[in-house]
Amino acid sequence: MMDKGHVIEVEHLTKRFGDFTAVDDISFHVSRGEIFGFLGANGAGKTTAMRMLTGLSFPTSGKGIVAGFDIWTQSELIKKHIGYMSQKFALYGDLTVQDNLELFAGIYGVSRRDAGQRIDELLGRLSLSHERGSLVKDLPQGWKQKLAFSVSIIHKPEIVFLDEPTGGVDPAARRQFWELIYEAVDEGITAFVTTHYMDEAEYCNRISMMVDGRIDALDSPAALKARYGAGSIAEVFDILARGAVRSE
Amino acid sequence: MSAFGYLFVKEARQFKSNPFMPVVLILLPLLLMLVVPLAANMEVRDVRLSIVDRDRSTMSTQLIDRISRSGYFVFSSYEDSYEDAMEQLSKGRADIIMEIPEGAERSVGNGENVEILIAANAVNNTKGTMGGGYLSSIVTDYSAELSGSSGLETSSPLTIIPQYRYNPHLEYKLFMVPALMIVVIILVGGFFPTLSIVSEKENGTIEQINVSPVRKRDFILSKVVFYGILGIFAFTLAIVIAHFVYGLASHGGLLEIYVSSMIFLVFMGGFGLIISNYSETMLQSVFLMLFFVLIFMLMSGIFTPVSSMETWSQYVTYILPTRYFVNILRAVCLKGSSFSDLTFDFVMLSVFAVVINIFAVVTYKKQS
Repeated sequence: MMDKGHVIEVEHLTKRFGDFTAVDDISFHVSRGEIFGFLGANGAGKTTAMRMLTGLSFPTSGKGIVAGFDIWTQSELIKKHIGYMSQKFALYGDLTVQDNLELFAGIYGVSRRDAGQRIDELLGRLSLSHERGSLVKDLPQGWKQKLAFSVSIIHKPEIVFLDEPTGGVDPAARRQFWELIYEAVDEGITAFVTTHYMDEAEYCNRISMMVDGRIDALDSPAALKARYGAGSIAEVFDILARGAVRSE
Repeated sequence: MSAFGYLFVKEARQFKSNPFMPVVLILLPLLLMLVVPLAANMEVRDVRLSIVDRDRSTMSTQLIDRISRSGYFVFSSYEDSYEDAMEQLSKGRADIIMEIPEGAERSVGNGENVEILIAANAVNNTKGTMGGGYLSSIVTDYSAELSGSSGLETSSPLTIIPQYRYNPHLEYKLFMVPALMIVVIILVGGFFPTLSIVSEKENGTIEQINVSPVRKRDFILSKVVFYGILGIFAFTLAIVIAHFVYGLASHGGLLEIYVSSMIFLVFMGGFGLIISNYSETMLQSVFLMLFFVLIFMLMSGIFTPVSSMETWSQYVTYILPTRYFVNILRAVCLKGSSFSDLTFDFVMLSVFAVVINIFAVVTYKKQS
């Protein structure tokens, strides 16, 4: 059923917590090698949707295939083929940069020799080689996020899920972070990014706009702007979000 | 190296970089083993005795003299009547009253029984009961002597040697030190893994593990094994202190002691992980753990023998794995029992360890 070019396919995915429908019947697909922007206001259901795709939570109903595996029955297989960077910093602060990278390389089954090379390469990219021996909790926020991203792609996954990866850092650091995403995509990794910075949406190949748990629009940034006659994605978002019931 | 190996190394590195836990690991057995037996000394001295000597005979004088030489008592007052003595007791000026009835010497001479009344104030339970205990032993001793001698002219009463029968100091340490060793193993084995996993929850690091393909059993096992090793370390420290400081020598083999400790640590580790699976915060997990640890300590024969419990609660102890562990340690240390004598306890302890760890793996949910 799955299109060869699609790494994620979702049909009628729904998640309810009691009476509250966090994700309301969404359907979409993500093609291999693209940067897919998952936009929406706070509380629109982005993180909940992402947690279902990464095997952290079960959907209430609907179907989903990620990296060729079913989110209902093969979540542990999905986990082998994806990387995940959570909204909240989740590396071990009491371990060094090197230790964190080694740990996750090991957990994902990267061989010792390959891991050494990969760690050198990633630290080189981040210009963090001199911080190898530093405890992660002592790093500045921007570096922590870059490190978390490196950990999430250490095993060269098919898809990397980034949940608000640039929260709380300055615009320059955010641009640098997006350069890292592009480099990863050049390696053949598909990027699935949630954000509420509308300027970042311009960096994506395609974006979806989530409002109140539903996907109200999905297309390339240029096509969306044209359709709504807007000058920027932020304007498109304002038009769509006007109908939102859930406020921030 | 397997995922388990990487996780094990991670635990060790985290422990090493923690400024607090390694200190706790060493201080906990040191303080418990060195300070508690000294501070929680149950030896009773200077019990205040109020004497009502209505006989005023040679015999009663000898008896009182003997009591005074035992060193445990101070005579707070001599009263003429029991009522006066009772007043001293009720005002808190005396701990124990001893009344020697009129004509006691004559009655003994006639071969009759004489009842000596001992009334102890049990508000300070330890002082009252222990003091009463000493006193009755001295009186019993003296009366045995009287009946053993031919007449009443026993001019040189024998000295009392209370060390063997009455020295609670020595007994108390023999009883207290092994109990504290078990407390060390319960605390280290129970709290360390629980705190470690709940801190992963609080810091969010568990999410990065949950989204990885790590098998649940590898994650759980890395904690149980690592903190089990720490438990063995703390236990060894306790054994060394027990041996060199208190001269406690085991009659049985170290192998039995260590094998049972390891099985018990595996149980405590798994148990701690179940608690952390159901707790969101440190506070929650610590309170839950404390609740169970107290039950383990109070109901497994560590401080009070199981045989002296109510019948229903004796049955309850069968579902507490600490019971079997305490049994094994006592039997090995005191009687020199070996595996073949303790098959039932070893089997039960192992069953608990396996079942609880399976339960720990099942209740740990990577996906909600």
